[in-house]
Amino acid sequence: MRGVLATDKRGVRELGAEDLVGWDEVTQGVVLNSFDIEVENPAFLRPEERPYSDFNSYTATVASWRVIKPVYNRDICIDCQNCWVWCPDSSIISRDKQMLGIDYDHCKGCGVCVEVCPTNPKSLLMFAEAEEPEEALGKWPEKKKKAK
Amino acid sequence: MAEKMELKSTEVWDGNYAAAQALRQAQVDVVAAYPITPSTPIVETYGSFVANGYIDGEFVMVESEHAAMSGCVGAAAAGGRVATATSSQGFMLMIEVLYQASGMRLPIVLNVVNRAIASPLNVRGDHGDMYAGRDSGWVQLDAFNAQEAYDLNLCAFKIGEDINVRLPVMVHQDGFVTSHTAQNVHPLSDDEAYAFIGDYKPVDEMLDFSKPVTYGAQTEEDWHYEHKAKQHRALMDSYVVIDRVFEAFEKKTGRKYKRLETYMMEDAEVAILALGTTVETSILAAKQLREEEGIKAGVVAPRVIRPFPLNELRAALAGIKCVAALDRSCPMGAMGALYNETCGALATIPAEQRPLVTNFIYGLGGRDFAVDEAKRIFREQKGHADVGHITTHVQQFSGLRGPKLGFYESKRS
Amino acid sequence: MIEIRWHSRAGQGAVTGAKGLGDVVSTTGKQVQAFALYGSAKRGAAMRAYNRIDDEPIINHEKFMLPDYVLVIDPALAFTDNITENDKGTTQYIITTHLSKDELIAQIPELQDKKERVHVVDCIQISLDEIGRAIPNAPMLGALVKVSGMFELDYFLDSMKRVLAKFPQKIIDGNMRAITRAYNEVQ
Repeated sequence: MRGVLATDKRGVRELGAEDLVGWDEVTQGVVLNSFDIEVENPAFLRPEERPYSDFNSYTATVASWRVIKPVYNRDICIDCQNCWVWCPDSSIISRDKQMLGIDYDHCKGCGVCVEVCPTNPKSLLMFAEAEEPEEALGKWPEKKKKAK
Repeated sequence: MAEKMELKSTEVWDGNYAAAQALRQAQVDVVAAYPITPSTPIVETYGSFVANGYIDGEFVMVESEHAAMSGCVGAAAAGGRVATATSSQGFMLMIEVLYQASGMRLPIVLNVVNRAIASPLNVRGDHGDMYAGRDSGWVQLDAFNAQEAYDLNLCAFKIGEDINVRLPVMVHQDGFVTSHTAQNVHPLSDDEAYAFIGDYKPVDEMLDFSKPVTYGAQTEEDWHYEHKAKQHRALMDSYVVIDRVFEAFEKKTGRKYKRLETYMMEDAEVAILALGTTVETSILAAKQLREEEGIKAGVVAPRVIRPFPLNELRAALAGIKCVAALDRSCPMGAMGALYNETCGALATIPAEQRPLVTNFIYGLGGRDFAVDEAKRIFREQKGHADVGHITTHVQQFSGLRGPKLGFYESKRS
Repeated sequence: MIEIRWHSRAGQGAVTGAKGLGDVVSTTGKQVQAFALYGSAKRGAAMRAYNRIDDEPIINHEKFMLPDYVLVIDPALAFTDNITENDKGTTQYIITTHLSKDELIAQIPELQDKKERVHVVDCIQISLDEIGRAIPNAPMLGALVKVSGMFELDYFLDSMKRVLAKFPQKIIDGNMRAITRAYNEVQ
């Protein structure tokens, strides 16, 4: 997990913490540049390798908006990518079709990933924000038996 | 490479065809359009130019005018030279996206072939649609005949695309009276026209993948106001570029345009202030009155409706005795917009220089505006001027059947 | 300033005729204006087209007109439309009809005091014969050239060939014959 979060590269700021400049300094046409510099083929760079500008959401965090959070259980996950597809905030980190975990800088704790997880028991479950992941993993439920 | 078209030095074109030829010569990359009378032939002709190899461009058919302008916004943000045309109800449906285009500073050229707004349904010319877009943040140019529809389209690209402007531009022309009236038009050759406009230089184009950008960001109370103020400033300041483009155009063609056109105002006592073809009809009336009755009549006409030529207007009207502001759109419960903007400008000069100002609503739904009616209005203004106050209602209706309709009287003490 | 009013039905080519005339006239260095009063009218509805011709640029955009020439290209409109509206006392009328001039005038009271200003020509028959369709605009132009003396016939024919250049040769030839016949047959 380390090395793939915005926090690891440069730290992230709260959303809305931009410098409030005057009318003469705002960008023309409300155009927001993702990068401060030109980048060749950014599509081939991983997010954490891209030189995102302060105006890109990647450098802003919404972590504090969360009261509950998804916890990921590697032992059960089948790498089906359902959560990656459905997450509305691109906060599932997956590499080469292999699930790595949650981007807690941008996850708002909506629970969609848990909802769409097909395993039994689920590989993602919602816990209180303050719960340590290790403790949470210790409380994981057993496989449910099908009712006969 | 697009094929060139051989044009004669004098062509007989209507306003629509003249505008379409200008779009061809500008080699517009994308036209997204939903045709509507009386603007249809502009985009139809562009389509045929593309089909016949005269333009390397794309005609995008869409399902509504809202989609047409949305398509234009997308294509312009992507980095292309973009234009379209509409009228009346189509313009009304486009309005939401007009604000998007100007807010995103995309130099789209929109030909507005002015037509009345329903209900009742009417396909003919008045300025109802033009007036509905007043605050949309576009540079707005007004053509009084087919030649000007051609000329101003060429200028529109050069103005809007200027790095110091980067705003969308409307070119207005009167539905039918200009759009469907063929007159002598002197076009430039394809090479001259293109050289005048120049290559399109994209800014913040979305198809530049090395510099990804976001268009259409949300800004709440902490940002929105500053962005709008910056946009207003850009539109206000665009007059510098407009003047420069008009000057370059005059050098090229000998045809002179000013942000505020004035005719016979040097010694005028009374004036008509108008837009569109009415300007030329009023000039004819003023000439005749000067010869026949010795009335010193003049005509004032905003060529550029936005940015509004306030300085030029008050300079032109200071010291004359009476001016009638003619509005070809029913203000529905207020004085006409041209009247209000004129009075606003005049309120900033010393009282003793201010003319009396009256307001006429006229020509709705294509009602003819005749030379004789223009002369009658001039004579009436002369009457006000002679006694020193407005002797009629301040707002009157010209060319209307039924009992005389008028509102407000001048307050003399 | 010469002013011309066309009385036509939508689809008979009055607008094309008026624009074609404008096109030819412009080649002589004159200023022209060609417009029409129609809108959502359908094929067959009565409509009017207009020309103005002048030495100076034409800045008059009013629709009101005291015509020098009234061109009626549909036979029935001579009876049902107000073709003598805004007569200026010298207005010349060219009316398409299969009737003789005397027969036509006998049936239209408004024309009786304008006899010497009325000209007749059967543009419908001429266009059927020569072009194969009832498109009476081109023959009417031939009649106008004769009555007005505005151009030499040959000059006009040459110019019209250029205006019609986008059409097949067969159509161009038919139009040339129609113009020439109307020029010779108008009375």
